[in-house]
Amino acid sequence: MRIPILKLHEYLLISVQVELDDQTAMQFQEDLLSKIHESGATGVVLDLTSVDIIDSFIAKVLGDVVSMADLMGAKVVFTGIQPAVSMTLIDLGIHLQDVPTALDLEQGLIKLRRELEEK
Amino acid sequence: MKGTLSNVPIAKELDIVGARQTGRNIATELGFSSVDQARIATAISELARNIYLYAKKGEITFQQVEGVAPVGLKIIAKDNGPGIKDISKSMIDGYSTSGGLGAGLPGVKRLMDDFDIMSSDEGTTIHVIKWLR
Amino acid sequence: MEQRLRNIILEHSDQIIKNWLVKLDENKVTEYGETISQEAIEQTNREFVNVIFSNIESNGGTNDLQEFSEKIVNLGWPLGYLTEGMQAFRTVAIRTILEDIGETNNNEEFLSIMEGVNDWVDPIKNRLINEYSSNWTNIVSLQKVALQELSAPLIPVMEGITIMPLVGTIDTDRAKLIMENLLNGVIKNNAEVVLIDITGVPVVDTMVAHHIIQAAEAVRLVGSQCILVGIRPEIAQTIVNLGIDLRNFPTKSSLQKGFRTALEMTGAKVISENEGEGDEIENILNSIEKE
Ligand SMILES: Nc1ncnc2c1ncn2[C@@H]1O[C@H](COP(=O)(O)OP(=O)(O)O)[C@@H](O)[C@H]1O
Ligand SMILES: [Mg+2]
Repeated sequence: MRIPILKLHEYLLISVQVELDDQTAMQFQEDLLSKIHESGATGVVLDLTSVDIIDSFIAKVLGDVVSMADLMGAKVVFTGIQPAVSMTLIDLGIHLQDVPTALDLEQGLIKLRRELEEK
Repeated sequence: MKGTLSNVPIAKELDIVGARQTGRNIATELGFSSVDQARIATAISELARNIYLYAKKGEITFQQVEGVAPVGLKIIAKDNGPGIKDISKSMIDGYSTSGGLGAGLPGVKRLMDDFDIMSSDEGTTIHVIKWLR
Repeated sequence: MEQRLRNIILEHSDQIIKNWLVKLDENKVTEYGETISQEAIEQTNREFVNVIFSNIESNGGTNDLQEFSEKIVNLGWPLGYLTEGMQAFRTVAIRTILEDIGETNNNEEFLSIMEGVNDWVDPIKNRLINEYSSNWTNIVSLQKVALQELSAPLIPVMEGITIMPLVGTIDTDRAKLIMENLLNGVIKNNAEVVLIDITGVPVVDTMVAHHIIQAAEAVRLVGSQCILVGIRPEIAQTIVNLGIDLRNFPTKSSLQKGFRTALEMTGAKVISENEGEGDEIENILNSIEKE
Protein backbone atom coordinates (compact mmCIF):
# COMPACT_ATOMS: atom_id res chain seq x y z
CA MET A 1 0.00 0.00 0.00
CA ARG A 2 1.41 3.38 -1.01
CA ILE A 3 0.28 6.76 0.17
CA PRO A 4 -0.05 9.28 -2.68
CA ILE A 5 2.04 12.46 -2.41
CA LEU A 6 0.77 15.52 -4.26
CA LYS A 7 2.81 18.51 -5.30
CA LEU A 8 1.47 22.05 -5.04
CA HIS A 9 3.99 24.70 -6.08
CA GLU A 10 6.93 24.30 -3.69
CA TYR A 11 4.89 22.25 -1.23
CA LEU A 12 4.02 18.59 -0.93
CA LEU A 13 0.58 17.56 0.31
CA ILE A 14 -0.26 14.18 1.75
CA SER A 15 -3.64 13.08 3.00
CA VAL A 16 -3.37 9.70 4.68
CA GLN A 17 -6.50 7.72 3.82
CA VAL A 18 -5.46 4.21 4.84
CA GLU A 19 -4.81 2.44 8.12
CA LEU A 20 -1.12 2.97 8.86
CA ASP A 21 0.46 -0.43 9.30
CA ASP A 22 4.22 -0.63 9.81
CA GLN A 23 5.03 -1.46 6.21
CA THR A 24 2.92 1.36 4.82
CA ALA A 25 4.47 3.82 7.25
CA MET A 26 8.04 2.82 6.40
CA GLN A 27 7.28 2.93 2.68
CA PHE A 28 5.79 6.38 3.15
CA GLN A 29 8.92 7.60 4.94
CA GLU A 30 11.03 6.48 2.00
CA ASP A 31 8.66 7.86 -0.66
CA LEU A 32 8.37 11.24 1.01
CA LEU A 33 12.12 11.72 1.36
CA SER A 34 12.80 10.86 -2.26
CA LYS A 35 9.95 13.12 -3.36
CA ILE A 36 11.46 15.98 -1.35
CA HIS A 37 14.80 15.24 -2.95
CA GLU A 38 13.57 15.19 -6.53
CA SER A 39 11.13 18.11 -6.22
CA GLY A 40 13.19 20.39 -3.98
CA ALA A 41 10.05 21.02 -1.94
CA THR A 42 10.49 23.39 1.02
CA GLY A 43 7.35 22.47 2.87
CA VAL A 44 5.15 19.45 3.54
CA VAL A 45 1.62 19.24 4.93
CA LEU A 46 0.72 15.82 6.28
CA ASP A 47 -3.01 15.56 6.86
CA LEU A 48 -3.97 12.90 9.39
CA THR A 49 -7.73 13.56 9.55
CA SER A 50 -8.63 10.01 8.52
CA VAL A 51 -6.12 8.30 10.79
CA ASP A 52 -7.81 6.80 13.83
CA ILE A 53 -4.85 5.19 15.56
CA ILE A 54 -1.23 6.21 16.05
CA ASP A 55 0.81 3.95 18.32
CA SER A 56 4.35 4.61 19.50
CA PHE A 57 5.89 2.89 16.50
CA ILE A 58 3.97 4.92 13.93
CA ALA A 59 4.57 8.04 16.01
CA LYS A 60 8.29 7.38 15.85
CA VAL A 61 8.23 6.82 12.10
CA LEU A 62 6.27 10.04 11.60
CA GLY A 63 8.43 12.01 14.06
CA ASP A 64 11.57 10.71 12.37
CA VAL A 65 10.35 11.69 8.93
CA VAL A 66 9.90 15.25 10.22
CA SER A 67 13.53 15.39 11.43
CA MET A 68 14.79 13.80 8.22
CA ALA A 69 12.83 16.20 6.03
CA ASP A 70 14.15 19.04 8.16
CA LEU A 71 17.71 17.92 7.40
CA MET A 72 16.84 18.05 3.73
CA GLY A 73 15.51 21.59 4.10
CA ALA A 74 11.77 20.85 4.11
CA LYS A 75 9.47 21.87 6.95
CA VAL A 76 6.67 19.44 7.85
CA VAL A 77 3.33 20.42 9.40
CA PHE A 78 0.85 17.86 10.76
CA THR A 79 -2.82 18.64 10.38
CA GLY A 80 -6.13 17.13 11.38
CA ILE A 81 -4.95 14.94 14.26
CA GLN A 82 -8.21 13.64 15.76
CA PRO A 83 -9.06 14.32 19.42
CA ALA A 84 -9.01 10.60 20.27
CA VAL A 85 -5.63 10.18 18.61
CA SER A 86 -4.29 13.26 20.37
CA MET A 87 -5.40 11.89 23.74
CA THR A 88 -3.83 8.49 23.20
CA LEU A 89 -0.58 10.13 22.13
CA ILE A 90 -0.59 12.15 25.35
CA ASP A 91 -1.21 8.95 27.35
CA LEU A 92 1.75 7.39 25.58
CA GLY A 93 3.81 10.40 26.62
CA ILE A 94 4.38 11.40 23.02
CA HIS A 95 4.07 15.15 22.52
CA LEU A 96 5.68 15.63 19.09
CA GLN A 97 7.05 18.84 20.57
CA ASP A 98 9.05 19.87 17.52
CA VAL A 99 6.33 19.29 14.98
CA PRO A 100 4.18 22.28 14.02
CA THR A 101 0.46 21.46 13.89
CA ALA A 102 -2.68 22.99 12.43
CA LEU A 103 -6.39 22.23 12.44
CA ASP A 104 -6.80 21.39 8.76
CA LEU A 105 -5.03 21.40 5.41
CA GLU A 106 -5.83 25.03 4.71
CA GLN A 107 -4.56 26.23 8.09
CA GLY A 108 -1.58 23.94 7.60
CA LEU A 109 -0.58 25.75 4.44
CA ILE A 110 -0.91 29.11 6.22
CA LYS A 111 1.21 27.82 9.08
CA LEU A 112 3.80 26.48 6.69
CA ARG A 113 4.11 29.80 4.94
CA ARG A 114 4.49 31.55 8.29
CA GLU A 115 7.12 29.08 9.50
CA LEU A 116 9.10 29.42 6.30
CA GLU A 117 8.96 33.21 6.36
CA GLU A 118 10.34 33.27 9.90
CA LYS A 119 13.53 31.61 8.79
CA MET B 1 -21.84 -12.78 26.84
CA LYS B 2 -19.07 -13.51 29.31
CA GLY B 3 -15.64 -15.06 29.32
CA THR B 4 -13.31 -15.34 26.37
CA LEU B 5 -14.51 -13.44 23.33
CA SER B 6 -11.64 -13.89 20.94
CA ASN B 7 -8.09 -15.11 20.52
CA VAL B 8 -5.65 -13.57 18.07
CA PRO B 9 -2.29 -15.22 17.38
CA ILE B 10 0.64 -12.85 16.77
CA ALA B 11 3.35 -14.15 14.47
CA LYS B 12 3.84 -11.55 11.78
CA GLU B 13 3.76 -7.81 11.49
CA LEU B 14 0.28 -7.58 9.97
CA ASP B 15 -1.15 -9.54 12.92
CA ILE B 16 -0.62 -6.36 14.95
CA VAL B 17 -3.18 -4.59 12.76
CA GLY B 18 -5.50 -7.62 12.94
CA ALA B 19 -5.34 -7.70 16.74
CA ARG B 20 -6.11 -4.03 17.22
CA GLN B 21 -8.97 -4.17 14.71
CA THR B 22 -10.47 -7.14 16.56
CA GLY B 23 -10.04 -5.24 19.82
CA ARG B 24 -11.68 -2.12 18.49
CA ASN B 25 -14.66 -4.09 17.20
CA ILE B 26 -15.13 -5.79 20.55
CA ALA B 27 -14.79 -2.47 22.36
CA THR B 28 -17.43 -0.95 20.09
CA GLU B 29 -19.82 -3.85 20.74
CA LEU B 30 -19.33 -3.56 24.48
CA GLY B 31 -20.32 0.10 24.24
CA PHE B 32 -17.03 1.92 24.86
CA SER B 33 -16.83 5.57 23.77
CA SER B 34 -14.88 6.36 20.66
CA VAL B 35 -12.04 7.80 22.73
CA ASP B 36 -11.84 4.64 24.85
CA GLN B 37 -11.96 2.56 21.67
CA ALA B 38 -8.89 4.43 20.48
CA ARG B 39 -7.19 3.91 23.85
CA ILE B 40 -7.92 0.18 23.78
CA ALA B 41 -6.81 -0.24 20.16
CA THR B 42 -3.60 1.66 20.84
CA ALA B 43 -2.80 -0.43 23.93
CA ILE B 44 -3.35 -3.63 21.92
CA SER B 45 -1.08 -2.33 19.20
CA GLU B 46 1.69 -1.72 21.75
CA LEU B 47 1.32 -5.12 23.39
CA ALA B 48 1.11 -7.01 20.10
CA ARG B 49 4.13 -5.19 18.72
CA ASN B 50 6.18 -6.03 21.79
CA ILE B 51 5.30 -9.72 21.31
CA TYR B 52 6.26 -9.57 17.64
CA LEU B 53 9.44 -7.60 18.33
CA TYR B 54 10.81 -9.29 21.44
CA ALA B 55 9.26 -12.79 21.53
CA LYS B 56 8.60 -13.38 17.81
CA LYS B 57 5.24 -15.00 18.54
CA GLY B 58 2.46 -15.18 21.08
CA GLU B 59 -1.22 -14.33 21.37
CA ILE B 60 -3.71 -11.73 22.46
CA THR B 61 -6.87 -12.86 24.23
CA PHE B 62 -10.00 -10.79 24.80
CA GLN B 63 -12.33 -11.42 27.73
CA GLN B 64 -15.39 -9.76 29.08
CA VAL B 65 -15.15 -9.38 32.84
CA GLU B 66 -17.10 -8.04 35.79
CA GLY B 67 -15.64 -6.15 38.75
CA VAL B 68 -15.48 -2.51 39.88
CA ALA B 69 -17.90 -1.90 37.00
CA PRO B 70 -20.45 -4.35 35.56
CA VAL B 71 -18.61 -4.54 32.25
CA GLY B 72 -14.90 -4.55 31.58
CA LEU B 73 -12.72 -5.59 28.66
CA LYS B 74 -9.73 -7.64 29.69
CA ILE B 75 -6.85 -8.09 27.30
CA ILE B 76 -4.18 -10.71 27.88
CA ALA B 77 -0.93 -10.56 25.94
CA LYS B 78 1.04 -13.77 26.34
CA ASP B 79 4.27 -15.03 24.85
CA ASN B 80 6.95 -17.62 25.55
CA GLY B 81 9.81 -15.34 24.63
CA PRO B 82 12.95 -14.41 26.57
CA GLY B 83 11.08 -12.32 29.14
CA ILE B 84 11.76 -8.79 30.31
CA LYS B 85 15.15 -8.48 32.03
CA ASP B 86 14.23 -5.58 34.29
CA ILE B 87 10.52 -5.05 34.70
CA SER B 88 10.73 -1.85 36.73
CA LYS B 89 13.03 -0.24 34.18
CA SER B 90 10.73 -1.33 31.33
CA MET B 91 7.94 0.65 33.00
CA ILE B 92 9.89 3.91 32.83
CA ASP B 93 9.07 6.32 30.01
CA GLY B 94 11.77 6.27 27.38
CA TYR B 95 13.38 2.97 28.37
CA SER B 96 13.94 0.78 25.32
CA THR B 97 16.36 -1.99 24.42
CA SER B 98 15.51 -1.74 20.73
CA GLY B 99 15.87 1.96 19.91
CA GLY B 100 12.13 2.44 20.17
CA LEU B 101 10.47 5.33 21.97
CA GLY B 102 10.13 3.28 25.14
CA ALA B 103 6.57 4.55 25.40
CA GLY B 104 4.78 1.20 25.02
CA LEU B 105 4.52 -0.36 28.48
CA PRO B 106 4.21 2.85 30.54
CA GLY B 107 1.77 4.10 27.90
CA VAL B 108 -0.40 0.97 28.08
CA LYS B 109 -0.57 1.40 31.84
CA ARG B 110 -1.95 4.93 31.41
CA LEU B 111 -4.25 4.03 28.53
CA MET B 112 -5.94 1.24 30.52
CA ASP B 113 -7.43 1.11 34.04
CA ASP B 114 -5.79 -2.04 35.47
CA PHE B 115 -2.32 -3.27 34.56
CA ASP B 116 -0.55 -6.48 35.63
CA ILE B 117 2.72 -7.83 34.34
CA MET B 118 4.50 -11.16 34.92
CA SER B 119 7.73 -12.02 33.23
CA SER B 120 10.41 -14.66 33.59
CA ASP B 121 12.88 -16.31 31.24
CA GLU B 122 9.99 -18.52 30.13
CA GLY B 123 7.96 -15.68 28.77
CA THR B 124 5.84 -12.64 29.49
CA THR B 125 2.16 -12.26 30.32
CA ILE B 126 0.47 -8.89 30.62
CA HIS B 127 -3.12 -8.43 31.80
CA VAL B 128 -4.90 -5.14 31.29
CA ILE B 129 -8.52 -4.10 31.82
CA LYS B 130 -10.60 -1.15 30.72
CA TRP B 131 -13.85 -0.64 32.63
CA LEU B 132 -16.97 0.60 30.90
CA ARG B 133 -18.27 3.69 32.66
CA MET C 1 -5.83 71.06 7.84
CA GLU C 2 -7.52 68.87 10.40
CA GLN C 3 -10.46 71.26 10.61
CA ARG C 4 -10.73 71.54 6.84
CA LEU C 5 -10.99 67.76 6.44
CA ARG C 6 -13.50 67.55 9.20
CA ASN C 7 -15.68 70.16 7.59
CA ILE C 8 -15.60 68.32 4.29
CA ILE C 9 -16.66 65.12 6.06
CA LEU C 10 -19.48 66.80 7.95
CA GLU C 11 -20.67 68.67 4.87
CA HIS C 12 -20.92 65.47 2.88
CA SER C 13 -22.25 63.34 5.69
CA ASP C 14 -25.36 62.28 3.76
CA GLN C 15 -23.31 61.14 0.81
CA ILE C 16 -20.81 59.34 3.05
CA ILE C 17 -23.51 57.54 4.98
CA LYS C 18 -25.11 56.41 1.75
CA ASN C 19 -21.83 55.10 0.30
CA TRP C 20 -20.82 53.51 3.57
CA LEU C 21 -24.09 51.58 3.85
CA VAL C 22 -23.73 50.39 0.28
CA LYS C 23 -20.17 49.28 0.95
CA LEU C 24 -21.11 47.35 4.07
CA ASP C 25 -23.89 45.71 2.17
CA GLU C 26 -21.79 44.68 -0.81
CA ASN C 27 -18.94 43.46 1.37
CA LYS C 28 -21.18 41.11 3.28
CA VAL C 29 -18.06 39.64 4.80
CA THR C 30 -19.62 39.19 8.17
CA GLU C 31 -22.21 36.52 8.56
CA TYR C 32 -24.54 36.84 11.49
CA GLY C 33 -26.56 33.73 10.83
CA GLU C 34 -30.03 33.49 9.31
CA THR C 35 -31.77 34.41 12.52
CA ILE C 36 -31.04 38.10 12.17
CA SER C 37 -33.36 40.01 9.90
CA GLN C 38 -32.08 42.30 7.17
CA GLU C 39 -33.98 45.04 8.95
CA ALA C 40 -32.07 44.60 12.19
CA ILE C 41 -28.78 44.69 10.32
CA GLU C 42 -29.74 47.86 8.48
CA GLN C 43 -30.89 49.53 11.64
CA THR C 44 -27.67 48.66 13.44
CA ASN C 45 -25.62 49.88 10.50
CA ARG C 46 -27.41 53.21 10.64
CA GLU C 47 -26.81 53.43 14.37
CA PHE C 48 -23.15 52.63 13.80
CA VAL C 49 -22.61 55.45 11.32
CA ASN C 50 -24.46 57.91 13.56
CA VAL C 51 -22.17 56.97 16.41
CA ILE C 52 -19.16 57.59 14.20
CA PHE C 53 -20.43 61.00 13.14
CA SER C 54 -21.42 62.13 16.60
CA ASN C 55 -17.88 61.26 17.72
CA ILE C 56 -16.30 63.23 14.92
CA GLU C 57 -18.53 66.19 15.74
CA SER C 58 -17.92 66.09 19.46
CA ASN C 59 -14.28 65.07 19.19
CA GLY C 60 -14.80 61.84 21.11
CA GLY C 61 -16.72 63.46 23.92
CA THR C 62 -19.67 61.09 24.03
CA ASN C 63 -20.60 57.81 25.63
CA ASP C 64 -22.36 56.31 22.68
CA LEU C 65 -19.26 54.38 21.52
CA GLN C 66 -19.43 52.43 24.73
CA GLU C 67 -23.14 51.84 24.44
CA PHE C 68 -22.85 50.76 20.86
CA SER C 69 -20.03 48.30 21.58
CA GLU C 70 -22.06 46.82 24.39
CA LYS C 71 -24.98 46.39 22.04
CA ILE C 72 -22.83 44.53 19.50
CA VAL C 73 -21.54 42.20 22.20
CA ASN C 74 -25.07 41.54 23.41
CA LEU C 75 -26.21 40.82 19.89
CA GLY C 76 -23.43 38.26 19.75
CA TRP C 77 -21.94 39.84 16.63
CA PRO C 78 -18.24 39.39 16.02
CA LEU C 79 -15.60 42.02 16.60
CA GLY C 80 -15.06 41.97 12.85
CA TYR C 81 -18.31 43.84 12.38
CA LEU C 82 -16.78 46.85 14.12
CA THR C 83 -13.30 46.71 12.56
CA GLU C 84 -14.72 46.12 9.13
CA GLY C 85 -17.19 48.95 9.50
CA MET C 86 -14.42 51.35 10.50
CA GLN C 87 -12.29 50.22 7.59
CA ALA C 88 -15.15 50.82 5.18
CA PHE C 89 -15.72 54.21 6.74
CA ARG C 90 -12.06 55.12 6.31
CA THR C 91 -12.15 54.21 2.63
CA VAL C 92 -15.35 56.11 1.95
CA ALA C 93 -14.17 59.19 3.86
CA ILE C 94 -10.86 59.41 2.02
CA ARG C 95 -12.57 59.00 -1.33
CA THR C 96 -15.11 61.70 -0.52
CA ILE C 97 -12.42 64.18 0.50
CA LEU C 98 -10.40 63.49 -2.63
CA GLU C 99 -13.46 64.01 -4.78
CA ASP C 100 -14.26 67.24 -2.99
CA ILE C 101 -10.85 68.87 -3.39
CA GLY C 102 -10.44 67.49 -6.90
CA GLU C 103 -7.92 64.97 -8.17
CA THR C 104 -4.49 65.42 -6.68
CA ASN C 105 -1.20 64.26 -8.11
CA ASN C 106 0.56 65.48 -5.07
CA ASN C 107 1.71 62.51 -3.01
CA GLU C 108 2.46 64.73 -0.06
CA GLU C 109 -1.08 66.02 0.01
CA PHE C 110 -2.56 62.59 -0.45
CA LEU C 111 -0.56 61.24 2.47
CA SER C 112 -1.54 64.08 4.73
CA ILE C 113 -5.20 63.48 3.90
CA MET C 114 -4.78 59.82 4.82
CA GLU C 115 -3.06 60.74 8.03
CA GLY C 116 -5.70 63.29 8.86
CA VAL C 117 -8.46 60.73 8.37
CA ASN C 118 -6.57 58.08 10.31
CA ASP C 119 -6.14 60.53 13.15
CA TRP C 120 -9.79 60.39 13.96
CA VAL C 121 -10.77 57.00 12.59
CA ASP C 122 -8.17 55.14 14.67
CA PRO C 123 -9.11 56.44 18.12
CA ILE C 124 -12.75 55.58 17.43
CA LYS C 125 -11.84 52.13 16.26
CA ASN C 126 -9.53 51.50 19.21
CA ARG C 127 -12.13 52.61 21.68
CA LEU C 128 -14.72 50.37 20.04
CA ILE C 129 -12.38 47.38 20.24
CA ASN C 130 -11.44 48.07 23.85
CA GLU C 131 -15.06 48.45 24.85
CA TYR C 132 -15.95 45.31 23.01
CA SER C 133 -13.36 43.21 24.78
CA SER C 134 -14.17 44.49 28.27
CA ASN C 135 -17.90 44.08 27.71
CA TRP C 136 -17.26 40.65 26.45
CA THR C 137 -15.30 39.76 29.58
CA ASN C 138 -18.24 40.87 31.74
CA ILE C 139 -20.62 38.72 29.81
CA VAL C 140 -18.36 35.72 30.09
CA SER C 141 -18.10 36.08 33.84
CA LEU C 142 -21.89 36.18 34.05
CA GLN C 143 -22.12 33.10 31.90
CA LYS C 144 -19.59 31.43 34.10
CA VAL C 145 -21.84 31.68 37.10
CA ALA C 146 -24.70 30.22 35.11
CA LEU C 147 -22.54 27.40 33.88
CA GLN C 148 -21.05 26.45 37.20
CA GLU C 149 -23.16 23.33 37.33
CA LEU C 150 -21.65 22.05 34.14
CA SER C 151 -18.48 20.13 34.53
CA ALA C 152 -16.49 21.51 31.66
CA PRO C 153 -18.32 24.06 29.55
CA LEU C 154 -16.88 25.46 26.40
CA ILE C 155 -17.83 28.90 25.15
CA PRO C 156 -17.07 29.92 21.57
CA VAL C 157 -16.66 33.65 21.94
CA MET C 158 -15.83 34.68 18.46
CA GLU C 159 -14.40 33.26 15.34
CA GLY C 160 -11.36 31.17 16.09
CA ILE C 161 -11.40 31.85 19.82
CA THR C 162 -12.99 29.62 22.43
CA ILE C 163 -12.86 29.76 26.19
CA MET C 164 -13.08 27.04 28.79
CA PRO C 165 -13.63 28.29 32.32
CA LEU C 166 -12.67 25.63 34.83
CA VAL C 167 -14.53 25.70 38.10
CA GLY C 168 -14.02 23.46 41.11
CA THR C 169 -11.52 20.78 41.94
CA ILE C 170 -9.91 18.76 39.20
CA ASP C 171 -9.32 15.06 39.77
CA THR C 172 -8.13 12.48 37.26
CA ASP C 173 -11.59 11.49 36.09
CA ARG C 174 -12.68 15.06 35.61
CA ALA C 175 -9.41 15.87 33.90
CA LYS C 176 -10.19 13.23 31.26
CA LEU C 177 -13.67 14.62 30.74
CA ILE C 178 -12.30 18.14 30.50
CA MET C 179 -9.74 17.08 27.93
CA GLU C 180 -12.38 15.32 25.85
CA ASN C 181 -14.76 18.29 25.91
CA LEU C 182 -11.90 20.63 25.17
CA LEU C 183 -10.64 18.75 22.12
CA ASN C 184 -14.06 18.04 20.66
CA GLY C 185 -14.97 21.69 21.18
CA VAL C 186 -11.80 22.86 19.45
CA ILE C 187 -12.67 20.78 16.40
CA LYS C 188 -16.34 21.71 16.42
CA ASN C 189 -15.70 25.46 16.71
CA ASN C 190 -12.63 25.41 14.53
CA ALA C 191 -10.86 27.22 17.34
CA GLU C 192 -7.35 28.44 16.64
CA VAL C 193 -6.93 29.53 20.23
CA VAL C 194 -8.47 28.22 23.45
CA LEU C 195 -8.37 30.22 26.65
CA ILE C 196 -8.34 27.94 29.67
CA ASP C 197 -9.44 30.03 32.62
CA ILE C 198 -8.41 28.59 35.99
CA THR C 199 -9.69 31.48 38.08
CA GLY C 200 -12.29 29.14 39.54
CA VAL C 201 -9.92 26.33 40.45
CA PRO C 202 -9.30 26.60 44.19
CA VAL C 203 -6.11 24.56 44.46
CA VAL C 204 -3.48 24.11 41.81
CA ASP C 205 -1.05 21.42 42.92
CA THR C 206 1.36 19.35 40.86
CA MET C 207 -1.41 16.93 39.97
CA VAL C 208 -3.79 19.63 38.69
CA ALA C 209 -0.98 21.44 36.88
CA HIS C 210 -0.01 18.17 35.24
CA HIS C 211 -3.57 17.62 33.99
CA ILE C 212 -3.77 21.15 32.66
CA ILE C 213 -0.43 20.84 30.87
CA GLN C 214 -1.54 17.57 29.32
CA ALA C 215 -4.76 19.13 28.11
CA ALA C 216 -2.77 21.98 26.59
CA GLU C 217 -0.39 19.54 24.90
CA ALA C 218 -3.34 17.61 23.47
CA VAL C 219 -4.85 20.84 22.18
CA ARG C 220 -1.59 21.62 20.41
CA LEU C 221 -1.57 18.21 18.76
CA VAL C 222 -4.98 18.71 17.17
CA GLY C 223 -3.62 21.95 15.73
CA SER C 224 -4.85 24.65 18.08
CA GLN C 225 -3.17 26.67 20.85
CA CYS C 226 -3.87 27.18 24.54
CA ILE C 227 -3.53 30.28 26.64
CA LEU C 228 -3.75 29.72 30.37
CA VAL C 229 -5.48 32.60 32.11
CA GLY C 230 -6.53 33.44 35.64
CA ILE C 231 -3.14 32.87 37.25
CA ARG C 232 -3.64 34.33 40.72
CA PRO C 233 -0.59 35.33 42.78
CA GLU C 234 -0.77 32.24 44.99
CA ILE C 235 -1.05 30.01 41.93
CA ALA C 236 2.03 31.63 40.39
CA GLN C 237 3.84 30.95 43.68
CA THR C 238 2.80 27.31 43.75
CA ILE C 239 3.76 26.78 40.15
CA VAL C 240 7.25 28.17 40.68
CA ASN C 241 7.76 26.53 44.08
CA LEU C 242 6.77 23.15 42.72
CA GLY C 243 9.04 23.61 39.72
CA ILE C 244 6.21 23.11 37.23
CA ASP C 245 7.27 24.01 33.72
CA LEU C 246 4.67 26.07 31.88
CA ARG C 247 7.10 27.68 29.47
CA ASN C 248 5.52 26.15 26.41
CA PHE C 249 2.21 27.92 26.93
CA PRO C 250 1.43 31.59 27.15
CA THR C 251 -0.04 32.45 30.55
CA LYS C 252 -1.90 35.61 31.53
CA SER C 253 -3.23 36.90 34.82
CA SER C 254 -6.66 37.84 33.54
CA LEU C 255 -9.14 36.68 30.97
CA GLN C 256 -9.08 40.10 29.37
CA LYS C 257 -5.31 40.06 28.83
CA GLY C 258 -5.57 36.54 27.52
CA PHE C 259 -8.25 37.61 25.11
CA ARG C 260 -5.97 40.30 23.73
CA THR C 261 -3.21 37.78 23.22
CA ALA C 262 -5.71 35.47 21.55
CA LEU C 263 -6.76 38.25 19.20
CA GLU C 264 -3.14 38.79 18.27
CA MET C 265 -2.58 35.10 17.72
CA THR C 266 -5.55 34.83 15.41
CA GLY C 267 -4.31 37.82 13.43
CA ALA C 268 -6.77 40.37 14.73
CA LYS C 269 -5.08 42.97 16.91
CA VAL C 270 -5.97 45.62 19.39
CA ILE C 271 -3.61 48.20 18.04
CA SER C 272 -2.08 51.40 19.21
CA GLU C 273 -2.71 54.40 17.03
CA ASN C 274 -1.07 54.88 13.64
CA GLU C 275 1.25 51.96 13.74
CA GLY C 276 1.66 49.84 10.63
CA GLU C 277 -1.98 50.58 10.09
CA GLY C 278 -2.54 49.02 6.68
CA ASP C 279 -1.12 45.64 7.64
CA GLU C 280 -3.12 45.35 10.82
CA ILE C 281 -6.34 45.98 8.99
CA GLU C 282 -5.33 43.44 6.40
CA ASN C 283 -4.73 40.94 9.18
CA ILE C 284 -8.03 41.58 10.85
CA LEU C 285 -9.92 41.33 7.60
CA ASN C 286 -8.05 38.22 6.57
CA SER C 287 -8.78 36.55 9.83
CA ILE C 288 -12.41 37.38 9.46
CA GLU C 289 -12.62 36.24 5.88
CA LYS C 290 -10.95 32.94 6.61
CA GLU C 291 -14.20 31.28 7.63
N1 LIG D 1 6.96 -9.20 25.44
C1 LIG D 1 8.20 -8.80 25.75
N2 LIG D 1 9.21 -9.71 25.83
C2 LIG D 1 10.46 -9.31 26.16
N3 LIG D 1 10.82 -8.02 26.40
C3 LIG D 1 9.87 -7.08 26.33
C4 LIG D 1 8.52 -7.41 26.01
N4 LIG D 1 7.80 -6.28 26.02
C5 LIG D 1 8.65 -5.27 26.34
N5 LIG D 1 9.90 -5.75 26.53
C6 LIG D 1 11.08 -4.95 26.94
O1 LIG D 1 10.64 -3.75 27.55
C7 LIG D 1 11.20 -2.61 26.90
C8 LIG D 1 10.22 -1.49 26.91
O2 LIG D 1 9.10 -1.79 26.08
P1 LIG D 1 8.21 -0.62 25.51
O3 LIG D 1 7.81 0.24 26.66
O4 LIG D 1 7.14 -1.20 24.68
O5 LIG D 1 9.22 0.25 24.63
P2 LIG D 1 9.87 -0.11 23.21
O6 LIG D 1 9.10 -1.23 22.62
O7 LIG D 1 9.74 1.13 22.42
O8 LIG D 1 11.30 -0.46 23.48
C9 LIG D 1 11.55 -3.11 25.51
O9 LIG D 1 12.60 -2.35 24.96
C10 LIG D 1 11.95 -4.54 25.77
O10 LIG D 1 13.29 -4.62 26.19
MG1 LIG E 1 7.02 -1.41 22.54
